[in-house]
This record gives sequence, C-alpha cells and structure tokens, in this order.
Amino acid sequence: MDHVLEKTTMNTFQKTLNALCITPLGFFALVLLLLVPVIPPFNQEYLIRWMVVGLFMAAQAVAFDFTGGYINIVNFGFAAFVGLGAYTSGILCAKLGLSPWIGMFVGIIPAGLVGFLTGILTLRLRGIFAAVMAWFIGLAIWGLAIKLVFLTEGPLGLNCPTLLETSSNLPYFYIIFAMFIITYVILKRVVRSNMGLAFTAIGQNMDAARTSGINPVRYRIINFTLSCAFAGWLGGFYAHYYGILMPEIMHTTKTVEVLVIVYIGGRASLWGGAAVAIPFVVAMELVRSEFSDYPGLHFIFYGLFLILIMIYYPGGFAHLYETLTDRFRKPSS
Amino acid sequence: MVMTSGTSQGMVEMVIRKLKSPPAITITLSIIAAILASIDSGFYVIVNTIVTGGMWALVAMGLALVFGVMNITSFVHGEFFMIGGLTAYFVFTPFSDYLMESPNPVVAFFIPILVMLVAAVAGVVVGILSELMIFRPLRKRTSDQWVMNSFVITLGLSVLIVNGTQFIFGTDFRGIVGYWPYPTLSFFDVYISFDRVMVFILAMLILGVFWWFMSASKLGRAIRAVSQDETGARMVGININGIQTLTMALSAALAALAGACLLFMYPAYPTVGMGPLYNSWFIVILAGMGNVAGAAICAFIVALLQVLTTVYFGEGWEFTIPAAVIILVLIIKPSGIFGSSVRGILDQ
Repeated sequence: MDHVLEKTTMNTFQKTLNALCITPLGFFALVLLLLVPVIPPFNQEYLIRWMVVGLFMAAQAVAFDFTGGYINIVNFGFAAFVGLGAYTSGILCAKLGLSPWIGMFVGIIPAGLVGFLTGILTLRLRGIFAAVMAWFIGLAIWGLAIKLVFLTEGPLGLNCPTLLETSSNLPYFYIIFAMFIITYVILKRVVRSNMGLAFTAIGQNMDAARTSGINPVRYRIINFTLSCAFAGWLGGFYAHYYGILMPEIMHTTKTVEVLVIVYIGGRASLWGGAAVAIPFVVAMELVRSEFSDYPGLHFIFYGLFLILIMIYYPGGFAHLYETLTDRFRKPSS
Repeated sequence: MVMTSGTSQGMVEMVIRKLKSPPAITITLSIIAAILASIDSGFYVIVNTIVTGGMWALVAMGLALVFGVMNITSFVHGEFFMIGGLTAYFVFTPFSDYLMESPNPVVAFFIPILVMLVAAVAGVVVGILSELMIFRPLRKRTSDQWVMNSFVITLGLSVLIVNGTQFIFGTDFRGIVGYWPYPTLSFFDVYISFDRVMVFILAMLILGVFWWFMSASKLGRAIRAVSQDETGARMVGININGIQTLTMALSAALAALAGACLLFMYPAYPTVGMGPLYNSWFIVILAGMGNVAGAAICAFIVALLQVLTTVYFGEGWEFTIPAAVIILVLIIKPSGIFGSSVRGILDQ
C-alpha cells in the first residue's frame, strides 16, 4: 500500500500517512477495524477474542514476511522465536516479579540474540540451509521448554501475570492493535529505505546483488535479526494475554499457521498477510467451532489453501488487489 | 603439490590424508563412543544403534535422493512413512486374525514381507500422485525460487495429509505387537525381538538392492545423471519428467517401507511422521545435503546419538541433544561431514 505520491501535492494528512506507509484505503480500513469491537453486533467477547488472535497473527505475519518475502528465506523456527520471547518475559514476570510491560520488551533480547547467532551461523550458506537450521534451533528450544521444568513448568504450563487486571478483551484488542501498527510501520519503513532495496535485490537475484556491491551476508543477518526480535516482542504479548504458556506455542504447526497467512496474503508486501489475517483467523475459528466433532478440519483448509496459492496464484491477495486497482485506474487516466 | 615418487610413501600419505578427513574422524569418533558406551552400560547400545540406524538409513536416503535429484527439500517425507505404516496395518490385521485361527508357520513367515511390499506400492502410488498433481504444476510455474517454493509446498502437502488422515481415520493409534510370532533371540546376553532382527536384515537387503540399482542399472545411472547436471542429462536424451516421477516414487516407497517395517515400534497415527522426519533431516543435514551414500552412514551416527541420549539423559531429550550436537558439528563444517567443500551462497 505504498504509493509514493509527489511531495509537492501532499497536504499534512497525506504526509503523515505516507510517513506511516499507509494508503488512504488502508487508513480507512484501520479506522474501521478500531471501531468494529464497539459496534453492537460485533461487540461480543468471543468475537473480540478472535480478533485479538487475528491481529496477533497479522503482526506475526508482518514480521515473518519481512524475512520470507524480502530476502526469500523462510524462517522455519519462527514460532520458537515467538516462544523464546514469551518464555523470557513469562519467567521473568512470574519468578522475579518483573512488570509484564517491561518483560515484553526484555523478551526482544534473547529472541534477537538467538536470531543473530543463527544468522551468523547459517546465512552465509544457501537459503534453504538457513531455513532448515532455524527449524532445528526451534526444535532444540522447544525441547528445552519441555524439559527445563524448574524454569518453564514444562507441559503443565507456566502461569504468568497478565498485562491488565480486567477480564475484558477490549483493552487487549487496542494493545495488540498498537503493537501491530508499530511492527508494520517500523518494518515497512526499513523496507522502503535503501536497506530494503538491498533486501529485495538479494531475494530476487543473489549474484546480481553481489555484483552491484551489496554484501548479502550482512544484510541477511540484519534482516533475520530484526524479524526475530519482533517475534520475541510479540511473544511477550502472547504470554501476558493468555496468562498461561505451554511449549506448544513453539511447535512447527504455529509457524505453519503464520506462513499460510503470509502466502495467502502475498509475499513481499508486508500488508497482504496482515490484511488477510483477521478474516482468515475468524473464518477458521468459525470452521473449528461449527465442526468441533472433527478437530483439525481447519488445518485441511490451511494445507489446501497453501498448495493452491503456491501453484495457481503465487502473488496472493496483495497481487490480486494491485491488478484490480490497476485495471480500475487505467480507463480513467 | 609434487607427486611423491615412492609408491609406498605415497600410499601412507594418502591413508593419513584420508584418516584426517572429516568423515573418517567422525566415523572413528562415533565407533569409539559406541564402544565406550557399551562397555559402560551394556552391549545393547550397539545392538540398538545398528537396528534403528538401519531403518533411519532407509528414510533418510529417500530424503537425500529427492533433494539431490529434484532439489526438493521435502517436508512431507514423514507422511509417506505414516502412509506406509497405515497401509501395513490395514493389510496385516486381517491376515493376522486369519493366522490366529489356523496357524501356519510358513505363511506366517512370508505374510509380513508381503505386507511390506504392499506398503511400498502404496508409497509408490502416493509419490507418483504428489509428483503429478503438485510438483509438476509448480515446476511449470516456478523457475527462480524453486528450492524455497517447493519446500513450502511440501509443507502444505504435509499439513493436508496429516489432517486428512485425522479426518478420515481419527487419531487412534493403529499398531501391532509384532510381525513374526517367534520367540525373542539373545546375542551376548542382549535380548532382541525376532522382528527387530528381521527388520534389520530386510533394511540391509533393501539398502543393497538400492545401491545396486543406483550404481549399476541404467535407470539408476540416469537418476544420478539428472542429479549431477539436469541440462546435460536432457541433452543426452534422458526423459527428465520420467526420472523425476521415478525419483519421487522411489523416495516415497523407501519411506513407506520403513513405516511398514517399524509398525511395531511406531504405531500409525496422523502425526507419527514427525519423529522420522526430524531424524532423517538431522541425518541429511549432517551428511551434507543430497549425499545419498553419506546419509546411509550418518543414519547410524544419528541413531547412536539418540541411543546415547536416552541412556545418559533419559527420555524426552532425544531431539534436543542430537540437534545441539549437529548444530555444533555444522559450526565447524557447514556443508556436512560428507560435503565436499564449504559451499557459499553463490550456489543458490
């Protein structure tokens, strides 16, 4: 959604939107999203809860797409980095009595650090190698979360303090909304900078990028670390929203959920996955509650959508949107 | 380097150089570790390692093959394993009920082998279907980022198969107690069930046939040609599409066969493929991606790692500690212990 307008024709409002990398339509959608939870037919707790999950997925999708879409490395241990942030924050708050608001930000450090080390180790090599190694590292962290019972309480679940005292979901909706916007704006601004240009070049053609004097390893590591750090931060929200942490949040299926949303939304757009996340999550939750006799049915849709999108429409929703708006624009101009 | 004129001196130097190579060091170290551990806690360490290693070799070789020939980083391999186990269960149960009523030792000996063959055929069918319905359409549309795209699509296929199986068959564990109704054998005061011995023999037999097929038969040579140079293979008149279908079928069949063989250890349920998948990825990465022969050897090393982990750390660590060890090994040699040289990002 970043149509860069000519600077001279912009008024203050447009300038602000442009600085935030949001188009007018996107802005309208976001305002609508802000209002939805208080408009009567939608202001029910379970719907708001689904939307919180949807926004959480949307924010994760942005962080995931930042690596997967731009430098073309699927971070297959993504859920483990989210979990690492979540557990760090959860343990600090539950065992040492740190405030969850600070804990969330402390969670960035281990996730970013492990991401950085993974990057140093693997990003010199072929992209697929990094993907598989990130997966192994994720598996190792997941195993640790299960076995280090004295820290994590293992599969029984770690009780961590929630961000707020209330049992209402509405405040959490606005918190995750803000976190989503911050994630999006920061990452989008990075993508729009010269560094983002380097990322795209590396993702599209490594040799050409290298020939133009870009150091691929350095940019890949920066990208990977940044994405992992955001994953850790979002993990902190998860910990202090649900109030209970289980090792399952690091399981590979959690990564798959984010990945499917990113691919449906359209790679290398950042906003595509985010736009698709809420409708998709709500639809899947509906399927899950309608067909509760068949657990896992919604995952069939995940798999099916992923395969169909990959083969028949690799551009995803973002691409569809762009072709539609282009067709719309052509006759008028 | 100047060639040494004295042949004996040259031989000695060559032997020393070979012994200093990473594969030799790793293999020697693992043999020493196995011997020390078996002195410390019993001979069963070696027996367990060899028996499970043989099975992982089958699974991992299929994975290495698919990567080497088709550049697919398969995530769906564990599901082929599960399909093999499931087929074996449904074929074997009626026979074993029948044999309960009218015991017949000769039939009882051959039935399990027949069952495993049926499972392998099921693997071939699934392999061909996934090649025709998924990989070929994708190949037509993707050229640049094939490695990452095919990886993601195997992920989708895996999710689809796991949850489709769960949808149709539920989450019940479908296992058997054993294939062959014979008593447990004992080697050097280690007790080992007849099934394990048979399965190990079968695995070695399949490995032998597979090795012969890849090295001596015309089709096997064609497969290797495609894995070395696809364009060159096309130029000498090899049917690439056919070879790719064959490779996928072969790889799926190997996994399904392993699933059928190990049904008594891994009962078939939708997510059973995860463990074998993790293991075979450990093996393939450790060996160096795409190295089929190296995968067969590394299977035993990873099996040893897991046996040692269970012996000295207890249950539940069997993924974490091997993963950590493998990561450490790869810090020293990123291309895997059988990889020829450190590959940089220049090759894709």
